[in-house]
Amino acid sequence: MTVKWIGKRMMMGVVVLLVVSFLSFFIMHAAPGDPATAFYGGNAQTLNAAEKERISRVFSLDRPITAQYGSWLVETLKGNLGISYKEGRPVITILRERLPNTLLLFGVTMFFIIVGSVWLGTIAGMKAGSILDKGLSILSIATSSIPAFWLGILFISFFAVKLGVLPSSGTGEIGGEGGFWDKLRYLILPATVIIFTHVGIFARFLQENIKDESRKYYVTVARANGVTEREIRKGILHNASFPYLNYIGMTIPSFFGGSIIVESLFSWNGLGQLTIKSVVTKDFPLLMGSILLIGMLVVISLFIIDFLMYSLNPKLRKGGVQ
Amino acid sequence: MKSRKMLAFWCIVLGIIVFSTVFSGNLAPYEPNDMNLDEVYLSPGDGHLLGTDHLGRDVFSRLLGGGKVTLTVATVSVLLSLVLGVLYGGFSGYVGGIVDTALMRLLEVFITIPSLIIILSFQAFMQGGMWSMALIIGVTGWLSTARIVRSEFIRLKEAEFVQMAKMFGTPIWKIIISHLLKNSVPAIFVVTLFNFANAIFIEVSLSFLGIGVPPAIPSWGNMLYYAQNDILIGAWWIGLYPGILIFITILAINFIGEALKDPERRRFSA
Amino acid sequence: MLKVNQLSIEINGKRIVDGSSFFVPRGRITSIIGESGSGKSMTISALLNILPAGSKAAGQAFFDNKDLLAISNKEMSAIRGSQIFTVFQDALNSFNPSVKMGKQLYEFSGRRIRHSVAEFHLKMDDILNDLGLSKAIMEQYPFELSGGMLQRCMIACALYVRPRLLIADEPTSALDTLLQKEFIELLKGLNEKQGTTILLITHDLDIVAEVADKMVIMHKGKVVEVGNVAEVFERPKNAYTKRLLESRF
Repeated sequence: MTVKWIGKRMMMGVVVLLVVSFLSFFIMHAAPGDPATAFYGGNAQTLNAAEKERISRVFSLDRPITAQYGSWLVETLKGNLGISYKEGRPVITILRERLPNTLLLFGVTMFFIIVGSVWLGTIAGMKAGSILDKGLSILSIATSSIPAFWLGILFISFFAVKLGVLPSSGTGEIGGEGGFWDKLRYLILPATVIIFTHVGIFARFLQENIKDESRKYYVTVARANGVTEREIRKGILHNASFPYLNYIGMTIPSFFGGSIIVESLFSWNGLGQLTIKSVVTKDFPLLMGSILLIGMLVVISLFIIDFLMYSLNPKLRKGGVQ
Repeated sequence: MKSRKMLAFWCIVLGIIVFSTVFSGNLAPYEPNDMNLDEVYLSPGDGHLLGTDHLGRDVFSRLLGGGKVTLTVATVSVLLSLVLGVLYGGFSGYVGGIVDTALMRLLEVFITIPSLIIILSFQAFMQGGMWSMALIIGVTGWLSTARIVRSEFIRLKEAEFVQMAKMFGTPIWKIIISHLLKNSVPAIFVVTLFNFANAIFIEVSLSFLGIGVPPAIPSWGNMLYYAQNDILIGAWWIGLYPGILIFITILAINFIGEALKDPERRRFSA
Repeated sequence: MLKVNQLSIEINGKRIVDGSSFFVPRGRITSIIGESGSGKSMTISALLNILPAGSKAAGQAFFDNKDLLAISNKEMSAIRGSQIFTVFQDALNSFNPSVKMGKQLYEFSGRRIRHSVAEFHLKMDDILNDLGLSKAIMEQYPFELSGGMLQRCMIACALYVRPRLLIADEPTSALDTLLQKEFIELLKGLNEKQGTTILLITHDLDIVAEVADKMVIMHKGKVVEVGNVAEVFERPKNAYTKRLLESRF
């Protein structure tokens, strides 16, 4: 059962990646201008005729778009993502440099968002009608209505320009001079912006689930029969976690989208910033590479969340037997 | 009663914003693109209520004019996603069976795509302007509408009055429009409101990255794009006010949506 | 054992139960009968202090000289844990869907009377066996069992705990006729063998006639008649009771 489920999920992930890559490929090739030039980009003059020939043949640039996509796919599966025309280096090398930074930002923000929202949402949800319960509902709508990058601008103008206590942009290298603490200083502003604009709405979602779950029949039955409050709460939290996890899964794609902008604002040396850069410079191979990698990150995150839900929820595990 | 007052309050706020941007041509004290190089970086005060930017353009006038652009893009894209969502979700929900299962699987795949990336590449490679942006936001934004319409249709399809209508031989298109669609309106309205807020977010984000609305046309996102540099030299007002206006607009939409959503939800669960 | 005096319940300002009084004698089966909406289930909720939010209860309900409506939450929990057991109407929804039955049954029975898990398994396996349930259900989830099986699980817990008062709120209405019969036999057995006092809430006169010693008739939030089952069936005094009895034949 479990093996079958994992297989099915993986198939789904592959389909998603195919759709994403084909869509982006299609869009870029439908763009005005000669596809060959778009592909060589600024490097076109520096290449000799034989080299051009070779690239054209490898990527089937003279054939219909589906054939081109097929060639791209075959090359990609072989691990060849092409060469960035802007930097003249293999795309895969560039992606490898950027990935850790994005993972760091994503990991840290997700960690604090989940810890914070579970904490707030649980307290507020368990005390229906309290000030915290009502306050969180309003506050979460308010914080989620702030455009993250605008908050970022405000933070930069206050903490970096006015107070000068935190750097306004950059990443800081772990291996660099400042070491870990230096990196942390660069991380604070972008991470805070993302956490602040997300934690409330996540907490509110959990809070609503807990309140709904507390009204369930089995809770009344358990309470009437002297089951300890601790056990009852454990049960409520357990069941409220399913829709909460599902919600996280649903928001992951747009979460990655949002962090692209924050990365760009703070010049955080990650995949998001790379995507924007390659979009602006029309660096085709690099853009395809970063889109594919971000797509993979989304698929993997969703897989982890699905797996969590699957292992926590016996109804899913037993195939929804009624 | 209290929540009804809140709803009225936020409706008025949104109304004022929409009204003043739609009539920005008449209300704004300056032309939004009028440059005055003698008056660059004026702080808010006499003559220029909210100051001027790096080309001496009046921030307040640009705010109103920019709002018109931002809200137009959002409106057009939301209408487009509404049509697409109703068609897809309605078809899936009405036909049901294998078709429904297949279409929902496909929808799951679409939801997994970080749509912002698709929009980004589209804008950059198509060298799009304002209308192409409205188009692409609409084309990528219909997923939640489709889901809601589908579940509404499935719920209503089983309802007694629809079964009755079928028994009396009411034509299908009439059942779909006057029974299914009409009764889904409250739910569709709420999801469309949230889509609207989302569309504003996307316009603002893209223009902020410099690949949205062309620089010649002022929009809230564009203003923030330029404000990045202005803030570093201390001209905080150029970035502050567009952001506040975006914030209030989205806040108003979200509160209205929440207020309309709650009684709905209670009614459905009862 | 339980003496309810002038109990009134209001939900959001609307009066659901109005000044009802009755008495549940020790070692007997007392039945509250009434149509749905007569306030009989709300009466139970008030006694157990599990009324929904926004409701208020007034009056007294003495259980061993302790007023259930006046005692602290802590005392109430203690009584709910060790003295009273309640079987609810909707067995399918009475258990947490994502926790194994074994653990839930332990929470409902062994844990209440401070038995270890090992003791619980020893004793519970026999009880389940007597009820025609395999002990394999301990490893299953509620949604894998039928309504009848789940209701028997509840009864198994009651048999285990041996409460002084067993409250059964429409326990049979979700079961089919055959299971209903079985269930009623179980209740009878519990009363005869263990001497458990039972308060049975139902709308089914046949059940009342079969098992109950005393009956309380409720109508539109009021107790309209109280008496021994045989006497009330012979000589109903109240007009509503008469109509109710006539409708039976």
